[in-house]
Amino acid sequence: MIVLDPNGEKLNLMPLNVGPSHPATHGCLRFLTAMDGETIVASVEEIGYLHRGFEKMVERGTWQQVIPYTDRLNYCSAIMNNIAFCRAVENMFQVDIPERCKVLRVIVNELSRINDHFVCVAAAFQDLGGTTPFMYAFNPREEIMCIWEKLTGARLTNSFARIGGLSRDSYDGFEDDVRAALNSTEKALKDLHACLDRNRIFLDRTVGIGKISAEKAISYGWTGPCLRASGVASDLRKDEPYYDYETYDWEVVVGTQGDCNDRLQVRLAEIEESVKIVRQALLRLAPGPVDIVDPRIRVPAHKLAYQDMEGLIGRFKSVYEGVRVPEGEYYCGSECANGELGFTIISDGSGHPYRIKVRPPCLTQFAAFHELVEGGLLADSMAVLSGLNIIAGELDR
Amino acid sequence: MNTVEEIFAVLDEKFGAKRETLDKWGTTAVISASYLHTAVQFLKEKSDIKFEMLVDIAGIDYLTYPNHEGPRFAVSYAFKSMSKPGTRIRLKVLVSEEDLKVPTISDLYANANWYEREVYDQFGVVFVGHPDLRRLLNHVEFVGHPLRKDYPAQKRQWLSTNDYLLPELEKRLETLGYKVVQRSKEVETNDNEFLEGSIKE
Repeated sequence: MIVLDPNGEKLNLMPLNVGPSHPATHGCLRFLTAMDGETIVASVEEIGYLHRGFEKMVERGTWQQVIPYTDRLNYCSAIMNNIAFCRAVENMFQVDIPERCKVLRVIVNELSRINDHFVCVAAAFQDLGGTTPFMYAFNPREEIMCIWEKLTGARLTNSFARIGGLSRDSYDGFEDDVRAALNSTEKALKDLHACLDRNRIFLDRTVGIGKISAEKAISYGWTGPCLRASGVASDLRKDEPYYDYETYDWEVVVGTQGDCNDRLQVRLAEIEESVKIVRQALLRLAPGPVDIVDPRIRVPAHKLAYQDMEGLIGRFKSVYEGVRVPEGEYYCGSECANGELGFTIISDGSGHPYRIKVRPPCLTQFAAFHELVEGGLLADSMAVLSGLNIIAGELDR
Repeated sequence: MNTVEEIFAVLDEKFGAKRETLDKWGTTAVISASYLHTAVQFLKEKSDIKFEMLVDIAGIDYLTYPNHEGPRFAVSYAFKSMSKPGTRIRLKVLVSEEDLKVPTISDLYANANWYEREVYDQFGVVFVGHPDLRRLLNHVEFVGHPLRKDYPAQKRQWLSTNDYLLPELEKRLETLGYKVVQRSKEVETNDNEFLEGSIKE
Protein backbone atom coordinates (compact mmCIF):
# COMPACT_ATOMS: atom_id res chain seq x y z
CA MET A 1 0.00 0.00 0.00
CA ILE A 2 1.17 3.51 -0.73
CA VAL A 3 0.89 6.04 2.07
CA LEU A 4 1.96 9.57 2.86
CA ASP A 5 3.88 9.75 6.12
CA PRO A 6 3.24 12.59 8.63
CA ASN A 7 5.81 14.75 6.81
CA GLY A 8 4.01 14.25 3.52
CA GLU A 9 6.60 11.90 2.07
CA LYS A 10 5.43 9.02 -0.09
CA LEU A 11 6.14 5.54 1.25
CA ASN A 12 5.46 2.11 -0.16
CA LEU A 13 4.54 -0.13 2.74
CA MET A 14 4.24 -3.85 2.63
CA PRO A 15 1.55 -5.53 4.76
CA LEU A 16 3.12 -8.54 6.41
CA ASN A 17 1.19 -11.13 8.35
CA VAL A 18 2.90 -12.78 11.35
CA GLY A 19 1.34 -15.83 12.90
CA PRO A 20 -1.02 -17.30 14.05
CA SER A 21 1.10 -20.41 13.76
CA HIS A 22 4.64 -19.16 13.91
CA PRO A 23 7.44 -20.74 15.96
CA ALA A 24 8.00 -17.51 17.87
CA THR A 25 4.34 -16.68 18.53
CA HIS A 26 4.07 -19.07 21.45
CA GLY A 27 0.61 -20.52 21.35
CA CYS A 28 -1.39 -18.88 18.64
CA LEU A 29 -1.12 -15.13 18.20
CA ARG A 30 -1.43 -13.17 15.03
CA PHE A 31 -0.45 -9.67 14.12
CA LEU A 32 -0.56 -7.84 10.84
CA THR A 33 2.17 -5.29 10.28
CA ALA A 34 2.80 -2.56 7.74
CA MET A 35 6.50 -2.76 6.94
CA ASP A 36 8.78 -0.08 5.64
CA GLY A 37 11.78 -2.21 4.76
CA GLU A 38 12.65 -3.97 8.02
CA THR A 39 10.85 -1.43 10.21
CA ILE A 40 7.36 -1.93 11.57
CA VAL A 41 5.32 1.21 10.89
CA ALA A 42 2.01 -0.02 12.27
CA SER A 43 0.76 -3.23 13.78
CA VAL A 44 -2.64 -4.66 14.70
CA GLU A 45 -3.22 -7.85 16.64
CA GLU A 46 -5.81 -10.56 16.52
CA ILE A 47 -6.31 -12.94 19.42
CA GLY A 48 -8.79 -15.69 20.16
CA TYR A 49 -7.19 -18.64 18.39
CA LEU A 50 -7.16 -20.57 21.66
CA HIS A 51 -10.56 -19.36 22.83
CA ARG A 52 -12.37 -22.37 24.18
CA GLY A 53 -15.14 -20.73 26.17
CA PHE A 54 -13.76 -21.15 29.69
CA GLU A 55 -16.38 -18.80 31.10
CA LYS A 56 -19.23 -20.67 29.41
CA MET A 57 -17.91 -24.10 30.40
CA VAL A 58 -17.58 -23.32 34.09
CA GLU A 59 -21.23 -22.24 34.30
CA ARG A 60 -22.26 -25.81 33.54
CA GLY A 61 -20.46 -27.57 36.39
CA THR A 62 -20.15 -27.31 40.14
CA TRP A 63 -17.76 -24.98 41.91
CA GLN A 64 -15.17 -27.72 42.39
CA GLN A 65 -15.31 -28.60 38.72
CA VAL A 66 -13.97 -25.16 37.86
CA ILE A 67 -10.58 -26.02 39.35
CA PRO A 68 -9.21 -28.25 36.55
CA TYR A 69 -10.26 -25.64 34.00
CA THR A 70 -8.19 -23.02 35.78
CA ASP A 71 -5.06 -25.14 35.25
CA ARG A 72 -5.42 -24.52 31.56
CA LEU A 73 -5.27 -20.77 31.94
CA ASN A 74 -1.56 -20.27 32.48
CA TYR A 75 -0.31 -23.77 31.88
CA CYS A 76 3.27 -22.87 32.76
CA SER A 77 2.27 -22.41 36.39
CA ALA A 78 -0.96 -24.38 36.60
CA ILE A 79 -1.24 -24.82 40.36
CA MET A 80 -0.91 -21.11 40.92
CA ASN A 81 -4.15 -20.52 39.01
CA ASN A 82 -6.19 -22.97 41.01
CA ILE A 83 -4.81 -21.55 44.24
CA ALA A 84 -5.93 -18.11 43.04
CA PHE A 85 -9.40 -19.41 42.27
CA CYS A 86 -9.74 -21.33 45.54
CA ARG A 87 -8.60 -18.26 47.44
CA ALA A 88 -11.35 -16.20 45.81
CA VAL A 89 -14.02 -18.73 46.76
CA GLU A 90 -12.65 -19.16 50.28
CA ASN A 91 -12.79 -15.39 50.72
CA MET A 92 -16.45 -15.51 49.77
CA PHE A 93 -17.02 -18.11 52.48
CA GLN A 94 -14.92 -15.92 54.79
CA VAL A 95 -13.09 -18.92 56.15
CA ASP A 96 -9.46 -19.20 57.12
CA ILE A 97 -7.48 -22.18 55.88
CA PRO A 98 -5.20 -24.14 58.26
CA GLU A 99 -1.64 -22.98 58.80
CA ARG A 100 -0.02 -25.96 57.07
CA CYS A 101 -2.22 -25.42 54.03
CA LYS A 102 -1.15 -21.77 53.86
CA VAL A 103 2.54 -22.63 54.04
CA LEU A 104 2.20 -25.42 51.48
CA ARG A 105 0.34 -23.08 49.16
CA VAL A 106 3.11 -20.50 49.51
CA ILE A 107 5.75 -23.12 48.66
CA VAL A 108 3.81 -24.42 45.68
CA ASN A 109 3.02 -20.88 44.52
CA GLU A 110 6.62 -19.79 44.58
CA LEU A 111 7.89 -22.97 42.93
CA SER A 112 5.34 -22.35 40.17
CA ARG A 113 6.57 -18.79 39.84
CA ILE A 114 10.14 -20.06 39.49
CA ASN A 115 8.97 -22.49 36.82
CA ASP A 116 7.03 -19.88 34.93
CA HIS A 117 9.84 -17.33 34.95
CA PHE A 118 12.34 -19.96 33.83
CA VAL A 119 10.14 -20.88 30.89
CA CYS A 120 9.77 -17.23 29.95
CA VAL A 121 13.49 -16.43 30.09
CA ALA A 122 14.45 -19.68 28.39
CA ALA A 123 11.95 -19.18 25.59
CA ALA A 124 13.04 -15.58 25.13
CA PHE A 125 16.60 -16.75 24.69
CA GLN A 126 15.55 -19.49 22.33
CA ASP A 127 13.66 -16.99 20.17
CA LEU A 128 16.78 -14.86 19.94
CA GLY A 129 18.78 -17.86 18.83
CA GLY A 130 20.49 -19.04 22.02
CA THR A 131 19.91 -22.66 22.93
CA THR A 132 22.33 -23.04 25.86
CA PRO A 133 20.41 -20.96 28.43
CA PHE A 134 17.32 -22.93 27.53
CA MET A 135 18.99 -26.06 28.85
CA TYR A 136 20.32 -24.25 31.94
CA ALA A 137 16.80 -23.08 32.81
CA PHE A 138 15.11 -26.35 32.07
CA ASN A 139 17.27 -28.43 34.41
CA PRO A 140 15.83 -27.02 37.66
CA ARG A 141 12.43 -26.78 35.99
CA GLU A 142 12.58 -30.52 35.40
CA GLU A 143 13.25 -31.08 39.10
CA ILE A 144 10.23 -28.99 40.00
CA MET A 145 8.20 -30.90 37.43
CA CYS A 146 9.22 -34.12 39.18
CA ILE A 147 7.97 -32.65 42.46
CA TRP A 148 4.66 -31.90 40.72
CA GLU A 149 4.49 -35.47 39.51
CA LYS A 150 4.97 -36.85 43.00
CA LEU A 151 2.61 -34.29 44.48
CA THR A 152 -0.27 -34.40 42.00
CA GLY A 153 0.37 -37.19 39.53
CA ALA A 154 0.63 -34.84 36.57
CA ARG A 155 3.35 -32.68 35.11
CA LEU A 156 1.83 -29.79 33.26
CA THR A 157 -1.87 -29.22 33.90
CA ASN A 158 -1.95 -30.37 37.48
CA SER A 159 -4.53 -29.28 40.03
CA PHE A 160 -3.51 -29.37 43.63
CA ALA A 161 -5.60 -26.81 45.49
CA ARG A 162 -9.16 -27.45 46.53
CA ILE A 163 -11.76 -25.09 47.94
CA GLY A 164 -10.93 -25.13 51.64
CA GLY A 165 -7.67 -27.03 51.44
CA LEU A 166 -5.49 -29.13 49.19
CA SER A 167 -6.21 -32.30 47.29
CA ARG A 168 -3.72 -34.12 49.53
CA ASP A 169 -0.91 -33.44 51.96
CA SER A 170 2.67 -33.43 50.75
CA TYR A 171 4.52 -36.73 50.40
CA ASP A 172 7.41 -38.09 52.46
CA GLY A 173 10.63 -36.46 51.37
CA PHE A 174 8.88 -33.41 49.90
CA GLU A 175 11.07 -30.98 51.84
CA ASP A 176 14.27 -32.66 50.64
CA ASP A 177 13.10 -32.59 47.04
CA VAL A 178 12.23 -28.90 47.32
CA ARG A 179 15.61 -28.08 48.87
CA ALA A 180 17.40 -29.96 46.10
CA ALA A 181 15.35 -28.10 43.48
CA LEU A 182 16.19 -24.78 45.13
CA ASN A 183 19.88 -25.59 45.05
CA SER A 184 19.83 -26.36 41.36
CA THR A 185 17.68 -23.26 40.79
CA GLU A 186 20.39 -21.13 42.35
CA LYS A 187 23.05 -22.83 40.28
CA ALA A 188 21.03 -22.30 37.12
CA LEU A 189 20.58 -18.64 38.02
CA LYS A 190 24.35 -18.22 38.19
CA ASP A 191 24.75 -19.92 34.83
CA LEU A 192 21.98 -17.82 33.30
CA HIS A 193 23.47 -14.58 34.58
CA ALA A 194 26.81 -15.64 33.16
CA CYS A 195 25.14 -16.14 29.78
CA LEU A 196 23.00 -13.03 29.92
CA ASP A 197 24.48 -10.13 31.75
CA ARG A 198 27.45 -9.29 29.56
CA ASN A 199 26.41 -11.07 26.42
CA ARG A 200 26.84 -8.45 23.72
CA ILE A 201 24.44 -10.07 21.26
CA PHE A 202 21.73 -10.48 23.87
CA LEU A 203 22.12 -6.92 25.16
CA ASP A 204 22.03 -5.49 21.65
CA ARG A 205 18.84 -7.36 20.99
CA THR A 206 17.04 -6.42 24.21
CA VAL A 207 18.31 -3.17 25.76
CA GLY A 208 16.07 -0.27 24.80
CA ILE A 209 13.76 -2.54 22.83
CA GLY A 210 10.03 -2.41 23.47
CA LYS A 211 10.23 0.38 26.03
CA ILE A 212 7.14 1.45 27.93
CA SER A 213 6.82 4.20 30.53
CA ALA A 214 5.30 3.59 33.95
CA GLU A 215 2.30 5.86 33.21
CA LYS A 216 1.51 4.08 30.00
CA ALA A 217 1.93 0.66 31.57
CA ILE A 218 -0.51 1.63 34.33
CA SER A 219 -2.96 3.02 31.81
CA TYR A 220 -2.81 -0.29 29.96
CA GLY A 221 -3.49 -2.08 33.23
CA TRP A 222 -0.17 -3.90 33.32
CA THR A 223 0.59 -5.87 36.44
CA GLY A 224 3.25 -8.25 37.62
CA PRO A 225 6.88 -8.39 36.46
CA CYS A 226 6.19 -6.40 33.29
CA LEU A 227 4.87 -3.44 35.30
CA ARG A 228 7.64 -3.75 37.86
CA ALA A 229 10.21 -3.64 35.04
CA SER A 230 8.92 -0.12 34.32
CA GLY A 231 9.80 0.89 37.87
CA VAL A 232 6.47 0.56 39.69
CA ALA A 233 6.86 -1.41 42.92
CA SER A 234 3.43 -2.98 42.78
CA ASP A 235 3.00 -6.51 44.04
CA LEU A 236 -0.20 -7.87 45.52
CA ARG A 237 1.82 -10.07 47.87
CA LYS A 238 2.95 -6.84 49.55
CA ASP A 239 0.02 -4.51 48.80
CA GLU A 240 -2.82 -6.82 49.76
CA PRO A 241 -0.97 -9.59 51.57
CA TYR A 242 -2.44 -13.06 51.84
CA TYR A 243 -1.07 -16.34 53.19
CA ASP A 244 1.24 -14.29 55.48
CA TYR A 245 3.41 -13.13 52.58
CA GLU A 246 4.11 -9.95 54.53
CA THR A 247 5.85 -11.94 57.27
CA TYR A 248 8.42 -13.46 54.94
CA ASP A 249 11.65 -11.61 54.34
CA TRP A 250 11.77 -10.70 50.65
CA GLU A 251 11.89 -7.67 48.37
CA VAL A 252 9.77 -6.46 45.47
CA VAL A 253 12.01 -6.38 42.41
CA VAL A 254 11.76 -3.31 40.19
CA GLY A 255 13.44 -2.38 36.94
CA THR A 256 14.37 1.06 35.69
CA GLN A 257 14.01 1.19 31.92
CA GLY A 258 10.89 -0.81 31.18
CA ASP A 259 12.53 -2.42 28.18
CA CYS A 260 12.76 -6.01 27.11
CA ASN A 261 16.00 -6.64 28.99
CA ASP A 262 14.51 -5.29 32.23
CA ARG A 263 11.47 -7.52 31.92
CA LEU A 264 13.70 -10.58 31.69
CA GLN A 265 16.11 -9.45 34.41
CA VAL A 266 13.23 -8.68 36.77
CA ARG A 267 12.02 -12.23 36.28
CA LEU A 268 15.43 -13.67 37.09
CA ALA A 269 15.67 -11.51 40.21
CA GLU A 270 12.17 -12.58 41.23
CA ILE A 271 13.28 -16.19 41.06
CA GLU A 272 15.91 -15.30 43.66
CA GLU A 273 13.24 -13.76 45.89
CA SER A 274 11.01 -16.79 45.43
CA VAL A 275 13.87 -19.05 46.48
CA LYS A 276 14.21 -16.95 49.64
CA ILE A 277 10.49 -17.26 50.39
CA VAL A 278 10.44 -21.02 49.84
CA ARG A 279 13.44 -21.54 52.11
CA GLN A 280 11.70 -19.62 54.91
CA ALA A 281 8.43 -21.41 54.28
CA LEU A 282 10.11 -24.80 54.57
CA LEU A 283 11.20 -23.87 58.08
CA ARG A 284 7.61 -22.98 58.98
CA LEU A 285 6.16 -26.21 57.60
CA ALA A 286 4.83 -27.90 60.73
CA PRO A 287 2.66 -31.00 60.85
CA GLY A 288 -1.06 -30.35 60.98
CA PRO A 289 -4.27 -30.59 58.99
CA VAL A 290 -4.38 -29.18 55.46
CA ASP A 291 -8.16 -29.12 55.05
CA ILE A 292 -10.93 -27.16 56.68
CA VAL A 293 -13.19 -29.46 58.70
CA ASP A 294 -16.54 -28.39 57.30
CA PRO A 295 -18.42 -30.72 54.96
CA ARG A 296 -20.21 -27.74 53.44
CA ILE A 297 -16.92 -26.38 52.05
CA ARG A 298 -14.38 -29.18 51.84
CA VAL A 299 -15.45 -32.70 51.01
CA PRO A 300 -14.83 -35.06 54.01
CA ALA A 301 -11.90 -37.46 53.78
CA HIS A 302 -12.53 -40.57 51.74
CA LYS A 303 -12.23 -43.01 54.63
CA LEU A 304 -15.00 -41.19 56.49
CA ALA A 305 -17.41 -42.03 53.69
CA TYR A 306 -17.20 -45.70 54.64
CA GLN A 307 -17.28 -45.30 58.42
CA ASP A 308 -19.43 -42.32 59.18
CA MET A 309 -22.95 -41.43 58.05
CA GLU A 310 -22.22 -37.70 58.15
CA GLY A 311 -19.10 -38.25 56.07
CA LEU A 312 -21.07 -40.19 53.48
CA ILE A 313 -23.72 -37.49 53.26
CA GLY A 314 -21.05 -34.80 53.05
CA ARG A 315 -19.28 -36.53 50.20
CA PHE A 316 -22.48 -37.26 48.35
CA LYS A 317 -23.84 -33.72 48.62
CA SER A 318 -20.53 -32.16 47.80
CA VAL A 319 -20.06 -34.24 44.66
CA TYR A 320 -23.62 -34.10 43.38
CA GLU A 321 -24.67 -30.62 44.40
CA GLY A 322 -21.37 -28.84 44.84
CA VAL A 323 -20.47 -26.45 47.61
CA ARG A 324 -22.96 -23.66 48.11
CA VAL A 325 -21.03 -20.45 47.83
CA PRO A 326 -22.79 -17.50 49.52
CA GLU A 327 -24.84 -15.40 47.15
CA GLY A 328 -23.16 -12.25 45.94
CA GLU A 329 -20.66 -10.62 43.64
CA TYR A 330 -17.00 -10.53 44.40
CA TYR A 331 -13.71 -9.65 42.75
CA CYS A 332 -10.49 -11.19 44.02
CA GLY A 333 -7.07 -10.77 42.45
CA SER A 334 -3.96 -12.77 43.29
CA GLU A 335 -0.37 -12.18 42.29
CA CYS A 336 0.46 -14.85 39.75
CA ALA A 337 3.60 -15.30 37.71
CA ASN A 338 2.46 -12.93 34.96
CA GLY A 339 0.65 -10.43 37.14
CA GLU A 340 -2.73 -10.06 38.72
CA LEU A 341 -4.99 -12.99 37.98
CA GLY A 342 -8.45 -11.88 39.00
CA PHE A 343 -11.76 -13.65 39.26
CA THR A 344 -15.03 -11.73 39.20
CA ILE A 345 -17.43 -14.22 40.71
CA ILE A 346 -21.22 -13.97 40.61
CA SER A 347 -22.85 -16.55 42.84
CA ASP A 348 -26.58 -17.12 43.12
CA GLY A 349 -26.12 -19.27 46.21
CA SER A 350 -26.42 -22.57 44.40
CA GLY A 351 -23.85 -25.29 43.86
CA HIS A 352 -23.02 -24.00 40.38
CA PRO A 353 -21.22 -20.77 39.57
CA TYR A 354 -23.59 -18.26 37.98
CA ARG A 355 -20.80 -16.44 36.22
CA ILE A 356 -17.02 -16.35 36.56
CA LYS A 357 -15.05 -13.74 34.70
CA VAL A 358 -11.32 -14.21 34.50
CA ARG A 359 -9.01 -11.25 34.37
CA PRO A 360 -5.94 -12.69 32.67
CA PRO A 361 -2.74 -10.68 33.22
CA CYS A 362 -1.58 -11.36 29.66
CA LEU A 363 -4.50 -9.64 27.99
CA THR A 364 -3.58 -6.15 29.14
CA GLN A 365 0.04 -6.72 28.24
CA PHE A 366 -0.72 -7.95 24.76
CA ALA A 367 -3.17 -5.07 24.24
CA ALA A 368 -0.16 -2.72 24.33
CA PHE A 369 1.87 -4.84 21.93
CA HIS A 370 1.49 -2.53 18.93
CA GLU A 371 2.86 0.41 20.92
CA LEU A 372 5.93 -1.61 21.84
CA VAL A 373 6.84 -2.82 18.37
CA GLU A 374 5.96 0.17 16.18
CA GLY A 375 9.11 1.90 15.03
CA GLY A 376 11.26 -1.14 15.74
CA LEU A 377 12.56 -3.89 13.55
CA LEU A 378 10.50 -6.95 12.75
CA ALA A 379 13.09 -9.17 14.45
CA ASP A 380 12.75 -7.08 17.62
CA SER A 381 9.04 -7.81 17.81
CA MET A 382 9.96 -11.42 18.62
CA ALA A 383 12.18 -10.29 21.48
CA VAL A 384 9.34 -8.10 22.78
CA LEU A 385 6.78 -10.85 22.48
CA SER A 386 8.76 -13.41 24.41
CA GLY A 387 9.72 -10.83 27.05
CA LEU A 388 6.03 -10.19 27.76
CA ASN A 389 5.46 -13.90 28.34
CA ILE A 390 2.11 -14.09 26.59
CA ILE A 391 0.46 -17.39 27.47
CA ALA A 392 -2.29 -18.02 24.94
CA GLY A 393 -4.15 -20.28 27.38
CA GLU A 394 -5.05 -17.40 29.66
CA LEU A 395 -5.04 -14.74 26.96
CA ASP A 396 -7.85 -16.41 25.01
CA ARG A 397 -9.52 -18.47 27.73
CA MET B 1 -11.84 5.34 58.86
CA ASN B 2 -12.55 3.58 55.63
CA THR B 3 -11.78 6.05 52.89
CA VAL B 4 -13.37 3.96 50.14
CA GLU B 5 -16.57 4.58 52.07
CA GLU B 6 -15.96 8.31 51.85
CA ILE B 7 -15.44 8.07 48.11
CA PHE B 8 -18.64 6.10 47.86
CA ALA B 9 -20.39 8.89 49.76
CA VAL B 10 -19.09 11.43 47.23
CA LEU B 11 -20.21 9.21 44.34
CA ASP B 12 -23.61 8.99 46.00
CA GLU B 13 -23.84 12.74 46.35
CA LYS B 14 -22.54 13.65 42.89
CA PHE B 15 -23.80 10.84 40.70
CA GLY B 16 -26.57 9.24 42.71
CA ALA B 17 -24.69 5.99 43.17
CA LYS B 18 -26.39 3.21 45.08
CA ARG B 19 -24.63 0.52 47.04
CA GLU B 20 -24.74 -2.94 45.52
CA THR B 21 -25.95 -5.12 48.36
CA LEU B 22 -24.80 -8.27 46.58
CA ASP B 23 -21.19 -7.23 47.06
CA LYS B 24 -20.72 -8.12 50.71
CA TRP B 25 -16.95 -8.20 50.56
CA GLY B 26 -16.02 -4.88 49.00
CA THR B 27 -17.52 -1.64 47.73
CA THR B 28 -19.55 -1.64 44.56
CA ALA B 29 -21.44 1.45 43.43
CA VAL B 30 -24.34 1.04 41.04
CA ILE B 31 -24.42 4.02 38.76
CA SER B 32 -26.60 5.04 35.85
CA ALA B 33 -25.06 4.81 32.39
CA SER B 34 -25.43 8.54 31.78
CA TYR B 35 -23.10 9.36 34.69
CA LEU B 36 -20.60 6.59 34.03
CA HIS B 37 -18.03 8.55 32.06
CA THR B 38 -17.93 11.53 34.45
CA ALA B 39 -17.87 9.24 37.47
CA VAL B 40 -14.94 7.24 36.09
CA GLN B 41 -13.14 10.44 35.19
CA PHE B 42 -13.73 11.67 38.74
CA LEU B 43 -12.32 8.44 40.20
CA LYS B 44 -9.30 8.60 37.96
CA GLU B 45 -8.39 12.25 38.23
CA LYS B 46 -10.15 14.16 41.00
CA SER B 47 -11.08 11.99 43.94
CA ASP B 48 -9.04 11.88 47.18
CA ILE B 49 -7.76 8.43 46.33
CA LYS B 50 -7.04 8.25 42.64
CA PHE B 51 -7.86 5.01 40.90
CA GLU B 52 -5.24 4.96 38.18
CA MET B 53 -5.76 1.42 37.01
CA LEU B 54 -8.73 -0.22 35.40
CA VAL B 55 -8.42 -3.82 36.48
CA ASP B 56 -11.30 -5.48 34.73
CA ILE B 57 -14.61 -5.05 32.93
CA ALA B 58 -17.05 -7.92 33.27
CA GLY B 59 -20.39 -8.36 31.59
CA ILE B 60 -23.20 -10.09 33.45
CA ASP B 61 -26.46 -11.56 32.12
CA TYR B 62 -29.11 -11.91 34.83
CA LEU B 63 -31.59 -13.85 32.67
CA THR B 64 -31.71 -16.97 34.84
CA TYR B 65 -30.64 -15.38 38.13
CA PRO B 66 -33.17 -16.39 40.79
CA ASN B 67 -35.60 -13.63 41.86
CA HIS B 68 -33.82 -11.01 39.82
CA GLU B 69 -35.64 -7.77 39.20
CA GLY B 70 -34.58 -4.97 36.93
CA PRO B 71 -32.56 -4.80 33.74
CA ARG B 72 -31.24 -8.01 32.25
CA PHE B 73 -27.61 -7.04 31.72
CA ALA B 74 -24.93 -5.37 33.80
CA VAL B 75 -21.39 -4.23 33.15
CA SER B 76 -19.10 -4.28 36.14
CA TYR B 77 -15.90 -2.24 36.31
CA ALA B 78 -13.11 -2.95 38.79
CA PHE B 79 -10.59 -0.23 39.61
CA LYS B 80 -7.56 -0.16 41.82
CA SER B 81 -5.46 2.64 43.14
CA MET B 82 -1.74 2.74 42.46
CA SER B 83 -1.02 5.75 44.67
CA LYS B 84 -2.69 4.08 47.64
CA PRO B 85 -2.03 0.37 47.12
CA GLY B 86 -4.64 -2.05 48.29
CA THR B 87 -7.59 0.28 47.65
CA ARG B 88 -10.18 -0.97 45.25
CA ILE B 89 -13.62 0.09 44.13
CA ARG B 90 -16.07 -1.32 41.65
CA LEU B 91 -18.70 0.37 39.56
CA LYS B 92 -21.67 -1.34 38.04
CA VAL B 93 -23.97 -0.16 35.28
CA LEU B 94 -27.28 -1.86 34.69
CA VAL B 95 -28.28 -2.18 31.05
CA SER B 96 -31.68 -3.20 29.79
CA GLU B 97 -32.12 -5.50 26.83
CA GLU B 98 -34.02 -2.86 24.83
CA ASP B 99 -31.31 -0.25 25.15
CA LEU B 100 -27.99 -2.09 25.19
CA LYS B 101 -25.81 0.99 25.32
CA VAL B 102 -23.06 2.08 27.69
CA PRO B 103 -20.70 5.02 27.12
CA THR B 104 -17.12 4.01 26.46
CA ILE B 105 -14.29 4.78 28.87
CA SER B 106 -11.59 3.78 26.38
CA ASP B 107 -10.50 7.42 26.18
CA LEU B 108 -9.64 7.33 29.90
CA TYR B 109 -7.99 3.92 30.22
CA ALA B 110 -6.03 2.39 27.36
CA ASN B 111 -6.94 -1.18 28.28
CA ALA B 112 -10.67 -0.41 28.29
CA ASN B 113 -10.50 -0.71 24.51
CA TRP B 114 -9.99 -4.48 24.56
CA TYR B 115 -12.11 -5.11 27.64
CA GLU B 116 -15.08 -3.35 26.06
CA ARG B 117 -14.59 -5.27 22.86
CA GLU B 118 -14.72 -8.46 24.90
CA VAL B 119 -17.97 -7.51 26.63
CA TYR B 120 -19.45 -6.53 23.26
CA ASP B 121 -18.31 -9.84 21.83
CA GLN B 122 -19.66 -12.01 24.62
CA PHE B 123 -22.85 -10.11 25.52
CA GLY B 124 -23.61 -7.73 22.69
CA VAL B 125 -23.46 -4.60 24.83
CA VAL B 126 -22.67 -1.63 22.60
CA PHE B 127 -20.13 0.85 23.93
CA VAL B 128 -21.04 4.24 22.51
CA GLY B 129 -18.02 6.16 21.27
CA HIS B 130 -15.69 3.16 21.15
CA PRO B 131 -13.19 3.68 18.33
CA ASP B 132 -13.10 0.10 17.10
CA LEU B 133 -15.91 -2.08 18.42
CA ARG B 134 -15.21 -5.51 16.98
CA ARG B 135 -15.24 -8.99 18.40
CA LEU B 136 -12.18 -9.85 20.45
CA LEU B 137 -12.15 -13.51 21.43
CA ASN B 138 -14.75 -14.98 19.13
CA HIS B 139 -14.37 -15.31 15.44
CA VAL B 140 -15.23 -12.62 12.95
CA GLU B 141 -17.88 -14.85 11.35
CA PHE B 142 -19.44 -15.85 14.67
CA VAL B 143 -23.17 -15.16 15.03
CA GLY B 144 -24.66 -14.36 18.44
CA HIS B 145 -23.19 -13.61 21.84
CA PRO B 146 -22.06 -16.80 23.56
CA LEU B 147 -22.02 -15.78 27.22
CA ARG B 148 -25.67 -14.79 27.19
CA LYS B 149 -27.60 -17.30 29.22
CA ASP B 150 -29.92 -18.12 26.31
CA TYR B 151 -27.04 -19.07 24.01
CA PRO B 152 -26.86 -22.88 24.01
CA ALA B 153 -23.43 -24.06 25.10
CA GLN B 154 -23.33 -26.97 22.68
CA LYS B 155 -24.23 -24.93 19.60
CA ARG B 156 -21.71 -25.18 16.78
CA GLN B 157 -20.97 -22.81 13.95
CA TRP B 158 -18.94 -23.07 10.78
CA LEU B 159 -16.07 -20.62 10.95
CA SER B 160 -13.81 -20.72 7.99
CA THR B 161 -11.40 -17.86 7.65
CA ASN B 162 -9.10 -15.45 9.42
CA ASP B 163 -9.97 -11.99 10.54
CA TYR B 164 -9.57 -9.45 7.75
CA LEU B 165 -7.40 -6.96 9.74
CA LEU B 166 -6.32 -4.92 6.70
CA PRO B 167 -8.92 -2.18 7.23
CA GLU B 168 -7.81 -2.08 10.89
CA LEU B 169 -4.21 -1.74 9.82
CA GLU B 170 -5.16 1.21 7.61
CA LYS B 171 -7.07 2.73 10.51
CA ARG B 172 -4.06 2.29 12.77
CA LEU B 173 -1.81 3.96 10.18
CA GLU B 174 -4.19 6.89 10.06
CA THR B 175 -4.17 7.33 13.84
CA LEU B 176 -0.38 7.43 13.61
CA GLY B 177 -0.59 10.33 11.15
CA TYR B 178 -0.14 8.44 7.89
CA LYS B 179 -2.48 8.86 4.97
CA VAL B 180 -3.32 5.89 2.79
CA VAL B 181 -3.09 6.94 -0.85
CA GLN B 182 -3.43 3.61 -2.54
CA ARG B 183 -4.82 0.54 -0.87
CA SER B 184 -3.27 -2.85 -0.97
CA LYS B 185 -3.99 -4.56 -4.28
CA GLU B 186 -4.58 -8.07 -3.05
CA VAL B 187 -7.40 -7.21 -0.67
CA GLU B 188 -10.58 -5.33 -1.29
CA THR B 189 -12.42 -4.39 1.89
CA ASN B 190 -15.83 -5.11 0.39
CA ASP B 191 -14.82 -8.58 -0.64
CA ASN B 192 -18.02 -10.49 0.10
CA GLU B 193 -16.60 -13.86 -0.67
CA PHE B 194 -14.01 -13.35 2.03
CA LEU B 195 -16.59 -12.49 4.64
CA GLU B 196 -18.85 -15.37 3.62
CA GLY B 197 -16.00 -17.77 4.22
CA SER B 198 -14.21 -20.29 2.10
CA ILE B 199 -16.28 -23.36 2.96
CA LYS B 200 -19.13 -23.72 0.49
CA GLU B 201 -22.03 -26.11 0.64
